Amino acid sequence: MAVLASAHPDDLCSVRDQVSDEEWQTRVDLAACYRLVDYYDMSDLLGTHISARIPGEKNTFLLNPYGMYFDEITASSLIKVDYDGNVLTETPFDLNKAGFTIHSAVMMGRPDINCALHTHTRAGIAVSALKCGLLPMSQHSARFIDNIGYHDYEGVAHDHDERERLQRDLGDYLSLILRNHGLLTCGYNIGHAFWLIYKLERACQAQIDGMAAGTKVIEIDRGVQESTKELFAKKKSAGGDLGWPGHLRRLDRMDPSYKN
Amino acid sequence: MSLKSKVAPEEWKMRVDLAAAYRLCEFYDMTDLTGTHLSARVPGEANNFLLNPYGLYFEEVTASSLVKLSLDGDVLEDHLGLGVNSAGYTIHSAVLSGRDDLNAVMHTHTRAGIAVSSMECGLLPMSQHSMHFHKSVSYHDYEGVAVNLDEREMLQRDLGPKNKAMMLKNHGLLTSGVSVPDAFYALMRLEKSCQAQVDAMSTGAELHLVPEAVSDHTNGQFKNRGTELADRGWPGHLRRLDRMDPTYAD
Repeated sequence: MAVLASAHPDDLCSVRDQVSDEEWQTRVDLAACYRLVDYYDMSDLLGTHISARIPGEKNTFLLNPYGMYFDEITASSLIKVDYDGNVLTETPFDLNKAGFTIHSAVMMGRPDINCALHTHTRAGIAVSALKCGLLPMSQHSARFIDNIGYHDYEGVAHDHDERERLQRDLGDYLSLILRNHGLLTCGYNIGHAFWLIYKLERACQAQIDGMAAGTKVIEIDRGVQESTKELFAKKKSAGGDLGWPGHLRRLDRMDPSYKN
Repeated sequence: MSLKSKVAPEEWKMRVDLAAAYRLCEFYDMTDLTGTHLSARVPGEANNFLLNPYGLYFEEVTASSLVKLSLDGDVLEDHLGLGVNSAGYTIHSAVLSGRDDLNAVMHTHTRAGIAVSSMECGLLPMSQHSMHFHKSVSYHDYEGVAVNLDEREMLQRDLGPKNKAMMLKNHGLLTSGVSVPDAFYALMRLEKSCQAQVDAMSTGAELHLVPEAVSDHTNGQFKNRGTELADRGWPGHLRRLDRMDPTYAD
């Protein structure tokens, strides 16, 4: 515990001059993503994690220092780790073991994915604990129709064997409901994963409120579901790309220290 | 006026941690005006504990303003002369006198906490957060405002020798711990558990509960880690308060 007590964000130095331009850009975007998850009320103290792959690098990804809150995360504080769990960034902080299990599973299993984002939100946990799962009842939920996996709860994800089952349950999807636990979205880039978690969170919130009314919930007409699915399939990460610069502008106005 | 130079360093540190916990309860929306209370045993003084001065809002509590009193109810230090809430004294003296292993106790009246406390089913094994309390949360029947000291025996009996968390039926939540961070983390987890449960049950749809074997396994994982998670998270909470408003440490 002595190491933990002494780990302080102020002790961290900038790594900007020590890493490639690609890695630095990834670090800035990922730090921004942590700040945004906090801003949109999707953080859970030190729990949950967001990872990103560095363009041009194989078998490595960035994760958060375990002990810093999401609103404290900076580009330089993020820890680079390889698929075997070797820490490649000098840091006084540990990695979250469950975070490594979940994110290494996604990164190893899906070369097309460059960012994975996991939350424990009130509405996300609630929907994850409903037998019916996510319902096609809002425009926000439409992109997830027939396009989201479900993973049964196995306890805190310390067991690396769980990676196979996470990969199996994610399949070719970008989004996964972790039963009795929370949400996971993945993206071709960081903005894309954030866009999806935002949409999934809103879908869960509307579902809880809609069902809580106790009146019959209208599901989207099956024909409309199909056409909407096709529309979203064509858009790929368009929403994430369009929205990301504005998110960075917001952070720059609020607190630009994520870029440190 | 600061008490820092007038009390032992161990007592001062405990005062700062407890004042921080009051501020964090406010930050995380777990206050109820001047109601509810958080307490901590004074290190090295097994018979004495700290409680909030009655009338201060949680966001106003400081290390120096906390009232020191004995488990028998004698006020030993009361900087502001406000005294303490008598129901607070009943509840906190009951837990601290009944359990030598516990040094901090926290009690809230939150929307989701009261809601679950009033459900016959109690807390359900429905989320990772709730796994912390699997087979380890107690229930205490409501007896009215806890101004009757006889209620202490019932509180002690219901909490029992091992549990650290208790649903106060029709009333709210109570958690405890070996330290302020330990009790605060239990409180956050119990609150999150209740929030997700209320949301899921409000749908009226069938729930997907965690199977008992997985709940047993996960609860064991958490118990094995002891206070590690709370100890890891506490410095960041103090950093947050220092950025927002460092007066808790006055």
